[in-house]
Amino acid sequence: MNNTRTSSLPGMKANWLLCFVLLCIVGIEVFLTYQHLSTGTLLAFLLVLAFFEAAIAVTYFMHLKYESPNLAWSLIPALIFVLIMMAHMLPDAMRLLNLRVIHW
Amino acid sequence: MSEPEMTVGIEHETWNEESPYRIPSRKLGMWLFILSDAVTFGAILYAYAFVRVGTANWTRPFEVSSIVNGVIMTTVLLVSSVTMLAALGAAKHNQRSRSVTWLGVTTLLGILFAALHIREWIRMIDAGWRLFQNPTGGPVLFGSTFFCITGLHLSHVIAGVVAIAVIAIKYNRGSLSTGHVESVGLYWHFVDLVWMFVFPLVYLMNAK
Repeated sequence: MNNTRTSSLPGMKANWLLCFVLLCIVGIEVFLTYQHLSTGTLLAFLLVLAFFEAAIAVTYFMHLKYESPNLAWSLIPALIFVLIMMAHMLPDAMRLLNLRVIHW
Repeated sequence: MSEPEMTVGIEHETWNEESPYRIPSRKLGMWLFILSDAVTFGAILYAYAFVRVGTANWTRPFEVSSIVNGVIMTTVLLVSSVTMLAALGAAKHNQRSRSVTWLGVTTLLGILFAALHIREWIRMIDAGWRLFQNPTGGPVLFGSTFFCITGLHLSHVIAGVVAIAVIAIKYNRGSLSTGHVESVGLYWHFVDLVWMFVFPLVYLMNAK
């Protein structure tokens, strides 16, 4: 019943290579941290790299690539939708900075 | 141990139906749990982003030593994901003792990660950081966001270590199957995946 075919899964050499790639991405993140970038720029870089790492982990470590495509289509778009919906409240945080301070 | 197909019985008649997504229900349940947990972590990270953006003079306290410690923790967790894959690979090839060995290594790496994390916590608490206390005099929200986010992740790590240990013991005795190893592996990779967001957003964004 299990659709993941053992023979099609990546071998241990590939897994170690992916681990090394992920560590390299972490190294890039640390390097960017000390490049005196603006907060917004650094955040954008780190988020993009983090999502790339997550995609590698989900696809190859969690073997989603080797499962039925229906599983991936059921899980990933729903998660992305919820995360986008939660992001809509972030502009309110910018307004917090400009709220009038009341001195009693 | 083979996975049974779903059976639906109505008036003594049964239909053998293929499971949705062609995976065992245990594995589907784990994926659905991971989805819900991902939303939980997403919510707490968004809350952290909200208070951080809305606070004018956010404290950035992490010295190079803390970042180095974070990199070591990330390395430990990534290696533990690979050892978990080694355990699953051995289980799929019916190499039970080899699989249990790799599960043991994964457990030890998880304990090492938790120990490094707790050591970092103790260092920060000694420096005066609390849930609602900032020793530098800046916003107290840093302490609450840091300890809550990393504490939630640490609780997941500890739960994962316990789960892997229990499954390793029971799998060694033959009372659990390869499917159980695969399910706990999915959970462990998810814990690793969450750290890939926590480390840059909580540690690197707050480096001095």
